[in-house]
Order: sequence, then C-alpha cells, then structure tokens
Amino acid sequence: MRGELHYDAVVIGAGTAGLTAGARLAEGGARVCVVAKGVGSTHLAPATIDVLGYTPARVASPAAALEELAALRPDHPYALLGGETVAESLRWFRAAVESGPSMPGYRYVGDLDRNHLLPTAVGALRPSALVPETMAGGDMATDAPASVCIVGSRSLRDFHAGLCAANLGRAGIEARAVDIEIEVTRADENTVGMARRFDDPAWRADFAARLALKLGAEERIGMPAMLGARDPHGAWADLEQRLGRAVFEIPTLPPSVPGMRLFEILRSALRRAGGRLILGPEVVSYERSGSRIVSVATASAGHDAHYAAPWFVLASGGFGSGAIELDSRWATHERVLGLPLRGLPDAGEPRFVGDYLAEQPMARVGVAVDGELRAEGAENVLVAGAGLPGAVPWREGSGEGIALASGSHAARFVLAHSGAHAGAAA
Amino acid sequence: MASLSTDVLVIGGGATGTGVAWDAALRGYDVVLVDRFDLAEGTSGRFHGLLHSGGRYAVKDPNAAKECIHENRILRNVAADCIEDVGGFFVTTPFDDPAYADKFAKGCRDTDVDCEEIDPAVALREEPLLNPGISRVFRVPDGNIDVWKTVWAMARGAQQRGARILPYHAVVAIHRTGDVVNGARVRGLGTGDEIDIEARVTVNAAGAWAGQVADMAGIEGVRVLPGRGIMIAMNHRLVNTCVNRCTMPGDGDIIVPMRTVCIIGTTDEHTDDPDDHHVPPSEVDQMLDDGEKLVPSFRQARALRVWTGVRPLFEDAKASDTQTRDVTRAHALLDHAQRDGVDGFVTITGGKLTTFRLMAEDTMTAVSRHLGDERPCLTKTEPLPGSEDRATYMLGERLERKEKNLVDEQIICECELVPRWKLEESIRRRATTNLDDIRRLLRLAMGPCQGGFCIYRAAGILHGLDGLSAEQTDHSLVDLLEERWKGTWPILYGDQLRQARLDEWMFQGVLDVEHLPAVAAQEVPA
Repeated sequence: MRGELHYDAVVIGAGTAGLTAGARLAEGGARVCVVAKGVGSTHLAPATIDVLGYTPARVASPAAALEELAALRPDHPYALLGGETVAESLRWFRAAVESGPSMPGYRYVGDLDRNHLLPTAVGALRPSALVPETMAGGDMATDAPASVCIVGSRSLRDFHAGLCAANLGRAGIEARAVDIEIEVTRADENTVGMARRFDDPAWRADFAARLALKLGAEERIGMPAMLGARDPHGAWADLEQRLGRAVFEIPTLPPSVPGMRLFEILRSALRRAGGRLILGPEVVSYERSGSRIVSVATASAGHDAHYAAPWFVLASGGFGSGAIELDSRWATHERVLGLPLRGLPDAGEPRFVGDYLAEQPMARVGVAVDGELRAEGAENVLVAGAGLPGAVPWREGSGEGIALASGSHAARFVLAHSGAHAGAAA
Repeated sequence: MASLSTDVLVIGGGATGTGVAWDAALRGYDVVLVDRFDLAEGTSGRFHGLLHSGGRYAVKDPNAAKECIHENRILRNVAADCIEDVGGFFVTTPFDDPAYADKFAKGCRDTDVDCEEIDPAVALREEPLLNPGISRVFRVPDGNIDVWKTVWAMARGAQQRGARILPYHAVVAIHRTGDVVNGARVRGLGTGDEIDIEARVTVNAAGAWAGQVADMAGIEGVRVLPGRGIMIAMNHRLVNTCVNRCTMPGDGDIIVPMRTVCIIGTTDEHTDDPDDHHVPPSEVDQMLDDGEKLVPSFRQARALRVWTGVRPLFEDAKASDTQTRDVTRAHALLDHAQRDGVDGFVTITGGKLTTFRLMAEDTMTAVSRHLGDERPCLTKTEPLPGSEDRATYMLGERLERKEKNLVDEQIICECELVPRWKLEESIRRRATTNLDDIRRLLRLAMGPCQGGFCIYRAAGILHGLDGLSAEQTDHSLVDLLEERWKGTWPILYGDQLRQARLDEWMFQGVLDVEHLPAVAAQEVPA
C-alpha cells in the first residue's frame, strides 16, 4: 500500500501511558511509533504520580491500599496489573527522569510506601506517591508541618495565594499569603509565560530580592508551579538558596508547567531509545483481519498515512480525550478502533446523577479487556491508561499510577510475545 | 425586630415584581421589594430570552399578540441596553402544515405585528444552518432580552429613587387586620433576621407562587397552574435570528440566539409544584429531535445546559388541568378589595416576560387608585439605567472592549469575557458572597466551559475582597459547582462530556475541592 509504514508496534496516544509504553518498547529494542492527535493529559495535570489517594478514605500508604483495592475490585486495572508491576513502573519512571538530559537535576521523590500530602491551589491537601522534588517541600504528611508562606501575584489569575493559605490554616497549618508584583506584557498571562521568566537568572535574582523583603519567619515558601520551563531544577534550587528556606511548587489551573516537563521527560526517553513520535494527525481508520488489527491510518495534509504493525497499544484515553464517545442518542463508541466497551450502566439506568461530588455511573466505562489488558475482540491490541475500565482516576487519585503501570505492562507483554525481540525484553 | 414602613410592598422579585417596584418608584411612591431568593431566580430567569414580536400568538391569541408588539416597541426604547435586535423568522418546515402560513400572515396584519414574507433562499443565506427544506419565511421584529440585566437595571433605578430591594428575604407571614392587609413579615435567608414591613398596599407578584402567597393572606381560590417547560442552551449561536416554526404554538419550536449561545424551547407539562425542576430524559430527546427539524445538524452541536422554568398560568373556566398551553397567556390582575372584600392587597400573575412592563403598569395604576392619588405611569418613556442612549445591545460589545484592553484587562471568564474589574465591582456593589448571584449579573460561568476555568479564579478574588472567610468562600465555590452540574448532567454527551471531564479533572483532580475542610464537614451526616 502506498505510504504504508511498518513498525514492530504502534502506540496510539501520547499521554503518560502512551509515551511510557512507547519508550519502554523502544528500550526493549522494538521499532516503535507513537501517533497521537495531540498531547495527552500531561499538560492538564499536576504531574505528580498519583498511585492511589482515596479509597475513598485518604490513603496513607499506597502499597498496602493497592492490595486491598485489588481484592475489593477484581475488575480494577490495579487488580489486573498487580502491585509489583506498579512498583517496577515507578522505578523505571524515576530512572527515566534522572537519566534524561533535557532538564539536569530535575527529579521525582517518593515511593509506594507513603503518600505525600501536597497543598492544592485552593488549599486542600492532595495525596500523591511520587512527586517532583520541586513540590516535595510542600508535604504536609508530617506530625508538625512547618509554617508556610504562600506567594501569589495579582498578575496571575490562575493562582490565589490568599485562599490557598486560608484553607491551609483551616487544616491546622500555620500559613500566610503574600502578593508580589510580576510585570506582565499581557494581562492574561498564564503560568507558562511566567515560567519562562524564572529561567532567567537575573530576573530570578530580582524576584527573590523583592520577595525576601516580604517574608516573615516562615520556614517554607509555596509558589504556583511555574519555577522554570527549561531548567526547573536550577531555578528552584537557586530560589531556595537565595531565600534560605525550602521552596515548593503548587500545581494550578492548566496549562500545567510541571505537566509539560513530564511530557518532555517521557518524550525524551522515547526518542533516546530510538522511538518515533508523530504528533498532530488523528487516527481516522483502521484495517482489521479477523481478530487482529493490521494497520491504522491517520489523516494529515495532502495524504493519509498508514501504520502497520503486529502489535498496537491503545493509549488514547477515555471520555476526556474523546477516544470514547457518548453520542446524543446515548450510544457509546470507542472511536479509534471500534472496540467493545465495558462498565456501561444498564439500559434505563441513569448515566449520571445529580450529586456533583458523587461517583457517576458512567465513570468506570472503558475498553473491554482480558486479564492481560488485551482488548476484547482484538488480540494484538493492548489497552493502557485512561481508556481502561474499572477505575475513577481523578476521584481515586490513581491516574498516573495506572498510566505508568499499564503502559509498562503493555510494553513488556508485546516484547515478550514478539519473537524477534524476546531477547531484548529479558 | 427591625421594621420598615412603606407605601407599597412588592412580594416577588421577578420581572413583574421588579417592574412594579420601578413603576412605583417612578410615580414617586415609597416601595420595598422582597424575594425569597435572588431577583429573577424564578420564572423570569428560567426562560429562553425571547422578546416576542407577537407573531407566536397572531393566530391563536390576537390580544396577546397585540400586547406583545406594543410592549416590544416600548422595551426596545426604554430597556435598549438589555435587548439585542436579532430579528425573527417564522419558517414553514417540511413538518408543518403549509396552510398555516397564510393564516399567520393575516393574523399578523390583524394584530399590527410587523411581518414581511421573504424568499426562503434569502433566509437561508442569512441563516445557512436552517433546514433547507423550508418553504415559506416571514420576518418579524423578535429580539432577545437579558432578563437579569433588565431586572437589575430596574432595581437600581428604583433604588436610586429610594426603593429598598431585599433579595433573599422570604415572606413568613402576611399581616392582616380584619379585612385589611397591612404588610408582611420577612425572614432573611442565611441570617434568619426578621423584619416587619408595614405597607399601605401589598402587591403579590409571586408569579407561579402567587397562590401560596394569597393563601398566607387568607385569600382563597387564587389558582395558578404551573406549566413546566424545559430549555436547552447550545454552545454557540447556530442561528443569529430567533427562529420560530410557522405553526400553532407547540413544543420545541423556537430557537433564540442569546449572547454567546442559542436556546431551544420549550415543553409544557402541568406540574403541581412550582419548585419542580426535574428534567425528564424523554423531554431532552424530544427537544433535540425538534431542534433537528429547524437546524438539521442540531444534535452534532454541543448542548451546554438544560433547565426548567415554570409558567404562572392563571386558571380560567375553560382550561383543563393537563393542557396548560391552552390556558390564557394574558395576565390577571386581582384586586382583592373587589374580589374578596380584602383591602390593601393586589395580586398580579399570569402573563409573559415580554409584557412584564404592562403588567406592572396595570398593577400600579390599580395600586395608585387605592393610595388615592392616581399618579401617572412613566415606564413607557423613562429609560432604565444603562439604556439612556436608547442603543440596543450589540453582541460584540464585550469583545470590542477586550480587544482595546488586551494588555491591561485581566479576563476571569473567557467564555463570556468577564474582566476582573467588573467582577470585583459587581461583588462589591451586590455586597454578596454568593458567586451564583454574580453569575446572573455577569453571565460568569455560563459559556461553553460552564465555569471550568473561572470558578476557581472568581472564588480566589471573592476571598481576597473584604476579608471573606475561607469557609464562606469554599461554600460559595462548591455551591456554584453544584449549581452548574445541576443543569449539565441531564444533557451530557459528545464534546460537552469531554468538557465536563476536564472540569472534573480540574476541580476534583488538580484542586481536590472535594476534600476541602468545609466541604468534608458538610458531607458528614450529623
């Protein structure tokens, strides 16, 4: 076929799950291509690696809670993946971050034994297992959390230090807010624009000097997550040094600067291992032969491109990305490969309920998979990430854990089952 | 207990009640207005926004048609800033009886509704998404009216003339001495503070709730038949003209372009409870199917939000309990001195939004007679605050402003282009801690993202002003999230479901509002 490209594996989707699968396939020696219509949820998310935060009680130790969850919900992705896969994928991730050349010194800290409790931009405390070092200073999961000063700027509409500090105060943490002027060229500037300023050492020095004048005796400084785009570790460490105390980042509204760093880390891991990333064209059709997907096609300017492979990893997400759709006649579709879904409410049962904070009946819908996370009716398709059924990532605080573990599992499964590369996988 | 004394007490802060307060203030009377919730939070705020030309009633109810066109012309003048002159089409679709069109044209002539038949090809050039199968098209002077803007302009105008406007004050008792009503006791929502209001005349403008208020005054037989209808807002203006089906009034036969969205309405079901806001899934499906008949790609567009409104239909002898559309749309003014021998009490109900000014005029003319000095009505010519230049609202006004202020003006709600200064000014002016009040004033959180980005920002700003506590701010934030969800979940599909997921991701994932201390405490049963 004209324009057909052949790979050992094609990954659809460039979120945390897809990039993890792609990078690990490439590291295992597979010729891999990741195709995606755009970046995934990284750019929206706090970029912490949440493994399990709520069950629904707040989880102190994900390792223990994972076992309980698996026993309670045998259809949950974690039950299918197993704790060791989760743990191994976290180890891989930490190594991938630290060996990446793109952001020297930037690293993640933490493990499965203990959740951090990080302040959110509204001042709630959110549990997360593995977090950027630049956020770890905000950890409140200690007996006597040190006092904090939350720093905001009226120039940044996406972070409100006063509300954050006031809610931390209600949680028993000594917290105060200060506002510091940041000159902007446009009133609607977001954290991405701000982060570029923090890359500039001279600007940073001036900022730190102005901030120092406003600080009291607080032991820690919380700031919106925007401390540097190119060299976040350098910017963060420099600020800590200049201010003489711990500084930590607080994730806020999208676009997410730490999420963009996370994307960069995973993309760089994929490329270093020789994988290819094609971002932009959307998969619009597929060719199937019996129970196997043979190729997928993307539409792009001028021509369609066909990607053929013995294995596919579907990491295209769920309802949020549009990969799974509920149409106006209330029918659901897996839009990429036309695969069957699981977890749908029975006919006549409500799809959603009126209580905003309750779990929604549609929340656990995903692509139907077997115990190895292979799609039902498509034996050479592994499903990874938010397209998996059985989880409620944003309520459980499990999204990145599932993404890393299922992406890793998909890579391992494909490598183990494609003869030519079995050696590389071992 | 606090007490007030006034000439006129108005119960009900919808368009009619606020119109009565504005009319009374212009006539120079001292007036107090109370509503159990915010102004225009009941029926007035829950309609599709159509300023009727009268065309809809031209065949079926000629008197209503005449009233509509008369009021339409007046409101374009005195409430210009609240009205967008979008114009209207009556179109004969393949689903409509073609014979109605001639009856319609004649009805418009007979009722003085300006009506011009145009070539369907011309209409399709103006509105390319319309059903290409339309066979006849009539152009009429429909418009849209921002009811919150209108009501608050009247309230402000009345306040400038000394009126006291008390939203969130529910009537707990009507004071009656023998055969005379002389005021009411109200209780502040949230504060619990009670105020005794002594009034020479009390106006019951409680709309669909007027029967309940009349009961409190010991007056029997004021039967208001609530007719519940659903409306759905689509995420952009599929049409820029109000589009009506050229047929006898029925369900789902109007699409009104309103600010950045368009709204399809409506159904009509009898309900016993005017506070019944449930949205039957079958009516949603029906409305979407009806939308397809006017705009064939309707189901592909994003449905943002669904809500219900309750028409206050005053029962007459001919009406049956279940066919509410056949009950008269004309308003009913009950002078209880004549009707029941009870002095100092007047009920105004029924009617429709387009005729609220006329209803207020009729009411105050009767009240003025009671007060013994028959002062003239001024609302026909006196512009509302903000409408002094008599220029109708242009959709691009906010965008034009923004483009001139790219550097200096921080936008808090991108969908509706609400700048920070405007938000801060409105919070201060209303002296409110309720973000939902601000939503109605500014259309904050009413666009395609339904508050995904602006609710956190607005909460942060609200907290920063005037030392609001974190508890109050958190409640306000969560309340608005829940209020948004209420109108979203029954119509979540397609891209709007993606949007809702993004919003959930932000509020429950990134911000984790569910686990804020106040919210957590609220969730635990006592």
